[in-house]
Amino acid sequence: MEKMSNSLSRASWKQFRRNRPAMAALWFLSVMLLLALMAPLLANDRPLYARYHDKHIFPALYPNKTYIFVLSDGSDEYVKSALVNWKTLPLEKAVWAPVAWWPGESDYANAHFVSPGGSQQFRDASGVLTEMPQKFRHRLGTNNTGEDVAAGLIHGARVSLSIGMIAMGIAACIGLLLGAVAGYFGDKGIHMTRGQWSTLIPGLFIAWFYAFHVRHFALTDALQAGGWKAVTSLSFSTMLFTAILLGCWWLGKLLSRIPFFQKGSWLPADNLISRTIEIIHSLPVFMLIITIAAITKPSIVSVMILLGLTSWTGIARLTRAEFLRIRELDYMQAGRSLGLGAARLIWRHALPNALAPALVSIAFGVASAILAESALSFLGVGVPTDLVTWGSLVNEGRQQYSAWWLVVFPGLFIFGTVTAYNLIGDGLRDAMDPKLRKQIRI
Amino acid sequence: MSKVLLRRLLFFLPTLVVISLLSFLISISAPGDPVDRLLPTAGTSGETGLVSKRIMEERQAMRHRLGLDLPAFYLSVSSLSMAAEMPDFQNPEEEEAWRRLTQLCGNAKAATNVYQAFDSWLELHAALDLSVLPDSAYLLVRQSSAIVRSLRQSGNTDLILSSIDRMLDRYSEYEGLNELSDGAMNTRSAVDALGTHTARWKNLVPVVQWNRQNQYHRWLFGDGHWLTGKGAVETKGVIRGDFGRSYTTKLPVSNILRERIGWSLFFTFTSVLLAYLISLPVGLRAAAKPHSLFDRSSSVVLFLLYSMPAFWLATLLLMNFANPDVLKWFPASGVAPAGGFPAGTGWWGRITGTIPYLVLPTICYTYAQLAFLSRMTRVSTLEIYGQDFIRTARAKGLSARTVLYRHAFRNALLPIITVFANVFPAAIGGSVILETVFSIPGMGREIVQAIYQQDYPVIVAVFTLTGVLTLAGYLLADILYSVADPRITWKR
Repeated sequence: MEKMSNSLSRASWKQFRRNRPAMAALWFLSVMLLLALMAPLLANDRPLYARYHDKHIFPALYPNKTYIFVLSDGSDEYVKSALVNWKTLPLEKAVWAPVAWWPGESDYANAHFVSPGGSQQFRDASGVLTEMPQKFRHRLGTNNTGEDVAAGLIHGARVSLSIGMIAMGIAACIGLLLGAVAGYFGDKGIHMTRGQWSTLIPGLFIAWFYAFHVRHFALTDALQAGGWKAVTSLSFSTMLFTAILLGCWWLGKLLSRIPFFQKGSWLPADNLISRTIEIIHSLPVFMLIITIAAITKPSIVSVMILLGLTSWTGIARLTRAEFLRIRELDYMQAGRSLGLGAARLIWRHALPNALAPALVSIAFGVASAILAESALSFLGVGVPTDLVTWGSLVNEGRQQYSAWWLVVFPGLFIFGTVTAYNLIGDGLRDAMDPKLRKQIRI
Repeated sequence: MSKVLLRRLLFFLPTLVVISLLSFLISISAPGDPVDRLLPTAGTSGETGLVSKRIMEERQAMRHRLGLDLPAFYLSVSSLSMAAEMPDFQNPEEEEAWRRLTQLCGNAKAATNVYQAFDSWLELHAALDLSVLPDSAYLLVRQSSAIVRSLRQSGNTDLILSSIDRMLDRYSEYEGLNELSDGAMNTRSAVDALGTHTARWKNLVPVVQWNRQNQYHRWLFGDGHWLTGKGAVETKGVIRGDFGRSYTTKLPVSNILRERIGWSLFFTFTSVLLAYLISLPVGLRAAAKPHSLFDRSSSVVLFLLYSMPAFWLATLLLMNFANPDVLKWFPASGVAPAGGFPAGTGWWGRITGTIPYLVLPTICYTYAQLAFLSRMTRVSTLEIYGQDFIRTARAKGLSARTVLYRHAFRNALLPIITVFANVFPAAIGGSVILETVFSIPGMGREIVQAIYQQDYPVIVAVFTLTGVLTLAGYLLADILYSVADPRITWKR
């Protein structure tokens, strides 16, 4: 069985590799990922390596370090890495990052939209303005306050890529789980006796009451304090919740021995989950995100969570359809007759074969998550205003249309990344969907 | 037909309820106190002196009028200790502090006693004859009343007791403040009573209450009769289009929305219509000869358009075609000249005068849907082309044109119609960005401005309305679907 799925994925990979645009997109994204991972080495206002007073230092790697240099006359010179202006320091030797600026760092000598090719100025240690040295040039221009666009682009890649991955990671967890449960069990897969119904439903309420309602003030105080306290307090509540529910489960089992409580009915898992999918699908998601972002503190993490919580429906729907098909297959029957548990069957045997459509949906979902985040930062809603992202750069370009570099470069980055994810989604669909493969040959 | 409609309407009911619950949840969890925003005199500036009894009562009356003293929902869960008569609060912080005190001792009555002691202590401040006091004592009285009001919001007994001790020390520095000392002593004994009259077991007994009067009901149905709306005083309820008043302009939100919704709907419908008109021929032609030059080039262009961020294209268009330095073909913002049309312009002049303003926004509204729809048309037509009845039609000797437009098109239309349900919400969501970029006075721009100004009633109203409009889009798609395909009988 392992070999089967292996060869299937190998065939898909072969098919995918033949898709030249999709492969190009994969390369493009790898470069982007590299850019994001190495951002502090590519755009940094501190030198990567420097020699100062005969000491070899790596300021880019230690942003908060204080260097102590012993001068020839015996006195000490303190250099605080975070505060000093490294560009004007008389370094004996220095290796600079390709972009010698940090995103959001204002260079007032080059404020008010300095173009990439235009003349740029440099304020040296004595405060005199001179021609900008080649190594410090703002290679893609600056914005109104003299922030470097190239640095913003490189560090913005971190925000965009992580938004896409984390939001879709959350969506994939929810979507795969709910889709699998709905498709595998259907409406007649989970049987509950009257005993279990009559203990579990009140049990949910009681567990919530003692774990969260009674501990409301303790929890809010701990969450406000943050850190370790928040984690322990939250996990205590969660454990209490689970413990009470488990207790109710056993009580239900006990109760089921009484003849009246032995009878029962099916839990319509599929119906419940499908209705939930439909309701969430028909909400105006972008409006919802904007509205919720308006009443909470601007934070990139909450945007990720919101995007994740609202975009799982497509994945769940496709996974459910796959599970409906797979659960009837012979090998699943065989597994059931061997006495394998539902969890093992779903996780080990059905899920690997049901992943294909979900993967396609995830690739498209990442593209739209990146688009949504850049639109939010463009509007300045929900994302902290001091965070430099691709969307916020385009927005700054709106202040002055002659500053084309503020609109064109970040826009190309967004456009390229979104196109790449869409191309990969397309390529995955072509590679894994045999039905579509046949269609193309018509 | 009406049966279909009824079925679908019933089906959308749960979604409507969810939208209303979400909107309500957002509106009550918005930061800040509505009383502060709507009552200009009632600043919470605690440090500036004596808040007169009149203002306190005004605040309490306002809370009552807005229904903020009601429970939030029909069902409320609390513990036995909390399920008791509450004192009058001036803001949500005081209510939370009272709940903290109650939770501490499990005795609501003792906590309420503390608040009554606070009240009488505050009244003693107001009753003092300030003219006979020296200036420094006068300052102390002002400070002390501010401190008492902040203690009402703390909910921390240690803090309350230590503050009372400090205040007692300072009162004793002056003569004539004995009354205040008495008030402080009373409060201290009330706080001490919290520790002695405990009933913490009451915290552990759940109580479920049914509240006929609650904030959600009021928000949804108004404060009159829920169905007819008769007897409504303060609010007629969201179902009758009453979203309260805007915090910034103090005008009814529904008036603002009525002015704004026109442009949003205009652009949404025009763009959807245009997108269908352009994409159907393009998709059909691409599908007629798959892998032809037209098919390949159109799909590349459409694919690129599909990934294009709307705000970027809008900015690029403005940069190139509404920019005096490059090309100034179109006006840069708005839907009419800044000062309005000159007097005496006829309706025809108005229409032709508006068109230049509409060109760039319409392009931006349309292109994304265009790409999506053309791809859908192509795929679904290709699928139809593989079926037997097309082969039969061809075998009969019908021309390629007839086969395409008479046989394939109608069947290919079905999935494209269902897509309408996806296109419509996308257009509404897109309006937020495009209306902001082009300064179109529509709902999308309104919500963004409301967010900048923290005007929560407007935000919630726009969200609710777009939710309902989105649902209406789904409904319309369903109806169109059943019209286009008579096989669908909606039997489930």
